[in-house]
Amino acid sequence: MPSPLHVPRVNNNDDSVRIVDLGVKEGDFVTRGQIIGAVETDKAVLDVPAERDGYVLKILHRMGETASVGSVLLWLGEIATERVPDQAPPVATGDATGATHRPTAKAQAMLRELGLDADVIPASGERLTVIDIEAWLATQRMPARPPGSLAPVASEPTPGVSGEYVELSGEERGMLSTVLWHRDQAVPAYLDVEYDPKPWNDYALRYGEQNKLLLSPLLALLAFRLVELAKVTPRINATVIDDRRYQYQPVNLGFTIQAGATLYLAVVQDAQNMSAARFIAALGEVQRHAMAHKLRPAESSGATLAFSSMARWTVSRHVPVLPPYTSLIVSHAAPRTSGSAVMGASYDHRLLSGFDVVQVLQALARPPA
Amino acid sequence: MTRSTSHASLDREAVKAAIRSRIIELAKALNIDARGLGDADIIPATGLLDSTAILELVVWYEQTYDFPLKQEEINIDNLGSIDAMVDFLLSRKRA
Repeated sequence: MPSPLHVPRVNNNDDSVRIVDLGVKEGDFVTRGQIIGAVETDKAVLDVPAERDGYVLKILHRMGETASVGSVLLWLGEIATERVPDQAPPVATGDATGATHRPTAKAQAMLRELGLDADVIPASGERLTVIDIEAWLATQRMPARPPGSLAPVASEPTPGVSGEYVELSGEERGMLSTVLWHRDQAVPAYLDVEYDPKPWNDYALRYGEQNKLLLSPLLALLAFRLVELAKVTPRINATVIDDRRYQYQPVNLGFTIQAGATLYLAVVQDAQNMSAARFIAALGEVQRHAMAHKLRPAESSGATLAFSSMARWTVSRHVPVLPPYTSLIVSHAAPRTSGSAVMGASYDHRLLSGFDVVQVLQALARPPA
Repeated sequence: MTRSTSHASLDREAVKAAIRSRIIELAKALNIDARGLGDADIIPATGLLDSTAILELVVWYEQTYDFPLKQEEINIDNLGSIDAMVDFLLSRKRA
């Protein structure tokens, strides 16, 4: 008796998928478990296995086509001449991935660590477990990765151009994990406010002269002001964990540092307890360590809030990527030819509204009285 | 590229020339010609190097002369000019 093979669901959010591979044609004989094609969404690619042995009687979708989840992809039959029913059988749920299975706590932690979406991983029981994730990783030919790194959401199709694989460096892996968190976990948004940079420049110049500083303290003072603002606006020093706001106790200020070809996010821990002078010294210390490529572990992890400047390269606006588990990164830029400048921020819209961020930026745009 | 220099090889003029050469190199990366820099000129005040370049200079100075600095030592008095950098290094190395 002919039986339909339905278009599977890849994740809960997509009710249609794109047919990206169909390795069979009508009349072919397939065996149970044989991969007969693949479907994809923006998030993942999923192989489609045959659910039984049989002949491909009729194919209802073509390569490149977008198909509704649960619609019939093709018909299989015991003999090649079987007649396909005129009417399709009841639509299957198409939940080929076990997407509705709630992850266990350990599985949830592993998903977070690896930057994976629970919706794309099938569960073997009522709950999605660590074993399920490891089994799925094995099918994706992706090794389980150590804590602190993230795996791609799904294996990428190989481009049809000759080339070779090159392992990513530690810094490149760090960048990858950051952008994947930004893309897959946060709901990033960006805005900026225009301001007059002169009062800040004058303030930093006076501060530097009074304290006989070798380096301009402008960026350090701006970053310190951000720390001070976090103390009165704790929402900017938080993230979202399990649908709840996770409010950090310390303010660990992440500061981007370009050292040669390497971009670091150096971290000043417990900045909330520091005076301006101590913060400037602490930041100077981690900057020197970054420049020498000798950051200590505590100086390169645990940022709860971040600051980035591209003024050095005369960039007049930039949209930074949110470091993992932060809700705000301020972007400082070079003045425009008009003399004004923009103070911007990328933020996690799950926690902060544009209004929240504008208020912080407007306060940050003015030096302390 | 960095290398350590032993105490015995610390000649004032050689150190001065090395620091000057490094400053000119860092300024060149910013498309600035620093060849006219005087030995006593206050480097940050000349505008030839921005803060990041000065920081690179300090890290190079520490590594080249095997001379780790405390954060509080990084100030205008000790490192503000080529002369100051040479004096500070030699006074500490010969102490």
